[in-house]
Amino acid sequence: MSRLNWWPMIGIAVSAIALLAPCYAADTDQAPNVTLESAKVGPRALEPLTERSVLRDYSFAWASLARALDSNSVEPLDGPFAGSAAEWLRDTVADQRRNGLSARYLNQTHRLEAVFYAPEGDLIELHDTADYDLQLRDGDKNIYNRHVTRHYVVLMTPSADRWVVRQLQAVPQF
Amino acid sequence: MSWSINTAWRDSKSGLTYAAASLICLAGICTAQVGEVRAPSAAVAGNSISLSTTGSGSATFYFIGPGVSGKRGVKLGEDIQIPAKELRYAGSYLGIICEDSCQSVEFFVNASSPSRLAFLVHPSRAPVAESDAISGVVLPFDSNGNLILSPTPTDFELTAAGATVMSRRDSTQDGIAWFRANSGRSAGALQVSASVNAVQSRRIVQQVASDPCNLRISGQRAAKGIIVETAPVRDCAGNPLPDGTIVTFTARDGEGKSTVDAPIKKGIARAEISAAGPIVVSAASGVVMGNDLRIQ
Repeated sequence: MSRLNWWPMIGIAVSAIALLAPCYAADTDQAPNVTLESAKVGPRALEPLTERSVLRDYSFAWASLARALDSNSVEPLDGPFAGSAAEWLRDTVADQRRNGLSARYLNQTHRLEAVFYAPEGDLIELHDTADYDLQLRDGDKNIYNRHVTRHYVVLMTPSADRWVVRQLQAVPQF
Repeated sequence: MSWSINTAWRDSKSGLTYAAASLICLAGICTAQVGEVRAPSAAVAGNSISLSTTGSGSATFYFIGPGVSGKRGVKLGEDIQIPAKELRYAGSYLGIICEDSCQSVEFFVNASSPSRLAFLVHPSRAPVAESDAISGVVLPFDSNGNLILSPTPTDFELTAAGATVMSRRDSTQDGIAWFRANSGRSAGALQVSASVNAVQSRRIVQQVASDPCNLRISGQRAAKGIIVETAPVRDCAGNPLPDGTIVTFTARDGEGKSTVDAPIKKGIARAEISAAGPIVVSAASGVVMGNDLRIQ
């Protein structure tokens, strides 16, 4: 085969990759894109190491939430969530499983603003402006599929080895 | 005519079907009566609501929100009752009705009235007369564990031995109120309370003596050496240091230096040091040094 004959095949391959890329990008396991702004936080300043930990653990929490609600399994919720947030997420998974429903949170972007960091460092409140594609399914039937922007008030507390989400409460606006 | 393709246009399997259906509807050929669902403008957690629907015939209703993901059949044109148990959590809810296609409404549920306070107070033991030594953070929650985000008056009060040390009214901001306060001048229990409406939460901070103000030691020869002891050890506010506080005695003689740690018991620390000849003894506790004691 002459060298010139490869070009059409390369073109087809590149086109195929370009076509398939959005499918992979929409995977539930895709890590959420999370940024954190902490310039206005008080009364305690957020140390860079703590900021990195909060970012890492909040991102992991949303990846876990997406896995739990897509697969209707509570296991991913063990660890990143506690308190009220863990309670309602477990209730949601149980209800989804009972009714044959599932939810997918795709292409997540979270813009966090730290608004309160307790004097002793044992509580942080964040405001999350989240963008994602929310897909709700009844079995194989798609009943809702929209790109949504939601505002969440988030409370996180430190546990033995990570920051855990205790409160995840959607609000119309901050 | 309803634009009901909105909720399913990305479905990869049926996307083309919906796209085709939408084009037909756009052309005015679509005649099916698709229902709509409407939500109340305000809803409170733990209270039932009803969603109104339009249209006719039967449809499947989905109710999606924090802690709930329900599905049931409904008749269009009738109200859909949502019981209180499906509205326990504050947040964003979706009501979706599906016939051939789906229509949805999103609404928010707010927290109800304060029922419980999370009250974080630090530290559990604080030295007396120290500025900004005590801090407290309070978060009001309703009976379902929802954070109350509307500004809510909060009263903080610090009392010791029946007397008010500090009293302050504040308002929650983003669901949180907090304070920072100096510790009092007397050792003992400090009661810290936070009140939101009729809900109160209390914590106790044990105020303990601060560092010793000074150390004075005295000594005398005994059969096997010398016995040294402190005068009653107090902080600068006159509070006796708690039993167990360590005082370090250091003895220097011609042969070198030796140290012994002695805990305070009933306000006094005492130690026995072996020494035959002349000796100089000093004492220290925390950052405070005592007088030198020379014994011949």
